[in-house]
Amino acid sequence: MGEKADVWQGTLALMVLKTLQAMGPLHGYGIARRIEQTSGDLLAVNYGTLYPALLKLEQEGYISSEWGFSDNNRKAKYYKLTRAGRKQLNKEERDWEQTTAILARFLAPGEERS
Amino acid sequence: MRRLRAWFSRLGGVFDKERSERELSAEMESHLAMHVEDNIRAGMSPQQARREAIMKLGGVERTKESYRERRGLPLVESFSQDIRHGFRMLRKSPGFTAVAILTLALGIGANSAIFSIVQGVLLAPLPYSQPDRLVLIREYNRTLKHPVWVSHPDFLDWQRGSRSFQQMAGQGGSDDYNLTSPGTPERLEGRTISSGFFSTLGVNLALGHEFSPQEDKHGGAPVIIISDRLWRERFHGSADALGKSVALDEVDYTIVGVAPAGFWFGDNADFYIPVGQGNPLLLEDRTIPRIVCIARLKPEVTIAQAQSELDAVQENLDRLYPAADRGLATHVAQLKQEIVGDTGGMLLLLLGAVGIVLLIACANVANLLLARSAARTREFAIRSALGASRARIVRQLLTESVLLSLAGGGLGLLAARWSLSVALAAAPGELLRRSANISVNVSVLFFAFCASVAVGILFGLAPALKSSKADLQTSLKAGGRGFTSSHHRAQSSLVIVQMALTLVLLAGAGLLFRTIHHLWEVNPGFDPHNVITFKVGLSPSLAKTPSSKQLAYKQLIERIRQIPGVQAADLTVLVPLSQEVNSGPFLVGTQESASIPEAPRALFYWTGPDYLRVMGIRLLRGRYLTTDDTTNSPPVAVIDSALARTYFPGKDPIGQILTIPHWRPVQIVGVVGHVQHWDLGNLENPESTTVGANRFIQNQIYASLYQLSDEWIANFYDGITVTVRTPLDNAAVLPAIEAVVYGTGGDQPVYSVRTMQQLVSESMSSQRFPMTLLGAFAGLALLLASVGIYGVISFSVAQRVNEIGIRMALGAEKRNIFRMVVGHGLRLALAGLAIGAAAALILARLLSSFSHLLYGVGASDPLTFATVSLGLTAVAVLACYLPARRATNVDPMAALRYE
Repeated sequence: MGEKADVWQGTLALMVLKTLQAMGPLHGYGIARRIEQTSGDLLAVNYGTLYPALLKLEQEGYISSEWGFSDNNRKAKYYKLTRAGRKQLNKEERDWEQTTAILARFLAPGEERS
Repeated sequence: MRRLRAWFSRLGGVFDKERSERELSAEMESHLAMHVEDNIRAGMSPQQARREAIMKLGGVERTKESYRERRGLPLVESFSQDIRHGFRMLRKSPGFTAVAILTLALGIGANSAIFSIVQGVLLAPLPYSQPDRLVLIREYNRTLKHPVWVSHPDFLDWQRGSRSFQQMAGQGGSDDYNLTSPGTPERLEGRTISSGFFSTLGVNLALGHEFSPQEDKHGGAPVIIISDRLWRERFHGSADALGKSVALDEVDYTIVGVAPAGFWFGDNADFYIPVGQGNPLLLEDRTIPRIVCIARLKPEVTIAQAQSELDAVQENLDRLYPAADRGLATHVAQLKQEIVGDTGGMLLLLLGAVGIVLLIACANVANLLLARSAARTREFAIRSALGASRARIVRQLLTESVLLSLAGGGLGLLAARWSLSVALAAAPGELLRRSANISVNVSVLFFAFCASVAVGILFGLAPALKSSKADLQTSLKAGGRGFTSSHHRAQSSLVIVQMALTLVLLAGAGLLFRTIHHLWEVNPGFDPHNVITFKVGLSPSLAKTPSSKQLAYKQLIERIRQIPGVQAADLTVLVPLSQEVNSGPFLVGTQESASIPEAPRALFYWTGPDYLRVMGIRLLRGRYLTTDDTTNSPPVAVIDSALARTYFPGKDPIGQILTIPHWRPVQIVGVVGHVQHWDLGNLENPESTTVGANRFIQNQIYASLYQLSDEWIANFYDGITVTVRTPLDNAAVLPAIEAVVYGTGGDQPVYSVRTMQQLVSESMSSQRFPMTLLGAFAGLALLLASVGIYGVISFSVAQRVNEIGIRMALGAEKRNIFRMVVGHGLRLALAGLAIGAAAALILARLLSSFSHLLYGVGASDPLTFATVSLGLTAVAVLACYLPARRATNVDPMAALRYE
């Protein structure tokens, strides 16, 4: 954790929102597995860090939760996007694209002056 | 917006904790269950599956902890948690808690007490409206290089001639009267004031109006303003009092006003009468300074501007009245500065000293905490293993130490309230001028609170940082006995600092103690043993005319002389060390001076012929005054050795002539020893410009009361003092004296009864007060420091039981072990002494330069320094003795087996 926490928390929130948009309502374990698979195991997710992030999103009103039952008929807490969450996701996606585009230009070869 | 929403939701989380805690557990459980199922499906054994799931999650408790931190408001929540935990920890070790709280209570209590004095005297504004615009104006005598009060005619000219002031007013001398009606007779203290006195101060009367300029004049109607106390006691606080009359010395005065409750100007008077109606002999003479002049500056006028305007007025007076005003300038200063006087430096010094006590107390508690944190390393290790961050642990420890210091502060405030009254009982007069202001009030409470919190953080921080840094693995393994060398270093340096600070205080107290000791050995010039002084309120029926007044006193003295056990008795207008003044100019030879301010001044003791014998003042040449010196014989005077030395060097002063303005040429018939009139060591700062005024006058002239012309008798017999020499006990003689006084006239109160011994002792109060306090602080510091060094040494012995056991098993003798332990303590003490001695030298310089507190000892007095250093070393060795004894009794076998 440490200094990287902020970046990690920010991107983690975006990944959670994106996952919920793609998959619909999902429990914490499912979200964690999904993020792990999608990122190609590049992010060695410590599943535990997901829960404070979920709580934060819920407190901010981007997601809501309710208890439901899984495929195996197991009681689990399901998270889903709210309207505010969808809007926030669109905004963050745009921001992210902008940031990566700018960074890409910076990192592109051949532009350095010597 | 979103932030706010999150914040509210988190605030909710602070309260609905139980439900969400249950949900969190359920969520974790279902998470793990799903993960385990997946793992089993992937082919793992059930145990393996569960283990993998938990590892992937990163630990259940850890996840819960970070979830919880996000849930509520972690600061609020963990704070209340810390407080609860702190209370639990403190309750669990009551011994530690009690010692720490008591230590801090001593430190904070002493600080609060001194702060309330500083606050009341230095910081609190004077009880007048816009007090910073008020100034005190005096004349500055260029010849004497000293400010003096102003004469009434000059005061009136200042009032007329200046434009810088909204208003100017004055207070004249004090007058004591017998109140005879209404009610029972009582001796009252009165002040004479000019018109506009109350409005200049911006004080509204409780009732009525103050004196008009017409009333403030010779021949004006007898009017009076009475104090709140008098109003309540004699008139039941009724508004009808206005227009009623009170009889003072058988003259009826009409009440025109009532001063507000708690009104104060320099002291608390019972009544006020117009200064302009006073004795014209004194009031109309420009050479007699009578008036304490106060004024309120106009809004934009600075003190310097007012000063230069008044200087111009005074120059004009100089031209008009050269005999009286030549060589006088004006001196304008802030009223508050004049009232507070020289005490500022002394108070700040004491505040510094008491701050040092607090530092020592802090060091002690820090040491205790360090020792305790060693025992608690395991607790912290477990907590951080469970996910508590380092900041969290530091916060927890700081909460505990602030809790401790707040408890100490609360107890300390109680101690401060109690000790304040004790301290003020010993306070010198300059302080008491504002003592009404001194109390444990809101600002003192605030001070104590801030001091407690600051102190809590101060002594808590080092141990907290130290113990939170402990290495997890080793502390868990060491099982709670891991005390690192950095702990030892911290403890040792705390002890060294304590020793150094204690030495500083001890040296300061030692120097003042030596000063007092020297002062007791000063020869005051008279024999203070077996002398009683008191005043008598002569019955007005006996004092109708000056000669009947004189006769009444003469008869009184005759009767007192006949009391068995009385060796001698006589009257005097002035008693040494009483802080009373009767000074005037004199001239050598018969020539008249062109300007009285340029003439030398002397203290005039108008006395009965036996006074010099009563006081045991030594006759050096010539003769004492006798009963034959009367208005029918040539006027004579006895001078003191200081006057003889200065004005008749190498000559025999007997038979020489002195000219006394307002009287006449007198012949010197005797020379007596110099008497210490002001204080025993001539300690008063001659540069001081504050209220004490002409304390520098050393010349002394004795003349007979029976050579006074009638017009002056009334003036000098007011408040005259009877002195009695008797080897008997004070309490044994007084009833006889009172019986005699009452025998001559029914209603004559005896008041201001004091022995000369008392006056001698009171004259040292400006040294004794800081000495007592500094002594108390030094004692406190010594106690705390010895407890500190004892604690550290015995702790290190406990830690080293093993090592000591091995040493003994290898053949070390008890003697060596003993020497090792004591040597350890001694090394710390000596390091502290070296640092402390250097610091003490600096403090002593301050002490001697600040307020002229030292007498007869140099600032670096080697005897004082050697004594306190030796004393401190001895105490340190003593404090190490017990732990050293314990070390030598270590049973090597038991010590080794214990490991």
